[in-house]
Amino acid sequence: MSSPLRPPSREEAEAAVRTLIRWAGDDPDREGLVETPRRVAHAYEQLFEGYRQDAAHILARVFEEAGCYDDLVLVRDIPFFSHCEHHMVPFFGKAHIGYYSSSGIVGLSKLAHVVDMFSHRLQTQETMSAEIVQAIEANLKPRGIALMIEAQHLCMSMRGVRKVGALTVTTQFTGVFRDDPGEQAKFLTMLSRRQEG
Amino acid sequence: MDSTVKTLPIRPLQADNDITHPRRPSREEAEAAVRTLIRWAGDDPTREGLVETPRRVVKAYEQLFEGYGKDPSHALARVFEEAGGYDDLVLVRDIPFFSHCEHHMVPFFGKAHIGYYSSSGVVGLSKLARTVDVFSRRLQTQETMSAEIVQAIETNLKPRGVALMIEAEHMCMSMRGVQKAGASTVTTQFTGVFRDDPAEQTKFLALLRRPMAV
Repeated sequence: MSSPLRPPSREEAEAAVRTLIRWAGDDPDREGLVETPRRVAHAYEQLFEGYRQDAAHILARVFEEAGCYDDLVLVRDIPFFSHCEHHMVPFFGKAHIGYYSSSGIVGLSKLAHVVDMFSHRLQTQETMSAEIVQAIEANLKPRGIALMIEAQHLCMSMRGVRKVGALTVTTQFTGVFRDDPGEQAKFLTMLSRRQEG
Repeated sequence: MDSTVKTLPIRPLQADNDITHPRRPSREEAEAAVRTLIRWAGDDPTREGLVETPRRVVKAYEQLFEGYGKDPSHALARVFEEAGGYDDLVLVRDIPFFSHCEHHMVPFFGKAHIGYYSSSGVVGLSKLARTVDVFSRRLQTQETMSAEIVQAIETNLKPRGVALMIEAEHMCMSMRGVQKAGASTVTTQFTGVFRDDPAEQTKFLALLRRPMAV
């Protein structure tokens, strides 16, 4: 048996997909499935590209000039797709990130990139929430970070308890958000505002 | 309850249930395949959060793909001939389903709507939902699934017409490739009076547009 950490070859990955098609109960040689192992192995490279990315790289560029802007920066409704590490089934939803800068600000798209990076792995929503906040904390060193993630887990809706529409909500607060309940209330209030435009 | 219950003879398994598949792998082989894919994704199958994942995935497959072991004519076998003279459209709307696209093995999900005009009898309404489950819990395309559901109802119930609409979101589209979240794929199938009379199609579609009453 090879080491668990040696990445398998593409052929081994495709053979594994064929095995799972047979385990599901179908015939991997029928027309609609014959190319499926190739497609699945290829899709994995995109769905799990977060393993090959580095948050420090994404958040490296900090702009120190922000015209003295010193209030909350909030990026709301960042859509994401991830896979639950317990069932390898998708969970998806929206992430909301707020922060008070200290030494500088980052490009807003960089926050969405960080969400993408951690969501494109096998995850739990709790770990993903903590990792996003830690990455922003380490690289941007802001006065505080607030994060909320709202997600639907298909492992709950399509199997097991089969609860469709149940939403899992996680939050993380650091710095001024952790210390001041008023700041948490402000963040949450701004999330409940109706979407403009 | 005094309805006469007519049990149609159970048909022999249809071709799609009857394929002689290559040997089914053992549970251990299936779990080893999941471990290979975890490594292919780039993670370590021996870390705490993943160590039990192969066992869970393989077990989840038995539920997610339970449709292969099921025969739709079994679900639709019980036909009630007495329906108090009811002769208009029977419509079951908004039947939720989850399936997996056979091209990427990624979920697609949404709602199925089935209407029919009975000829010799009616089926229990839940049996239509059961039929949707039998075909959605397989590796599918939305087109094939639509055709198979209609064929199963057609064969077992022999109604004057069947109308089907399926609306679904395909995660292979929303989470990879084109990344179009929220795009909805719609398929329809019409047989009998629905196929022959555009007004019947319009009636079916109009009834689907009504807001939910309950």
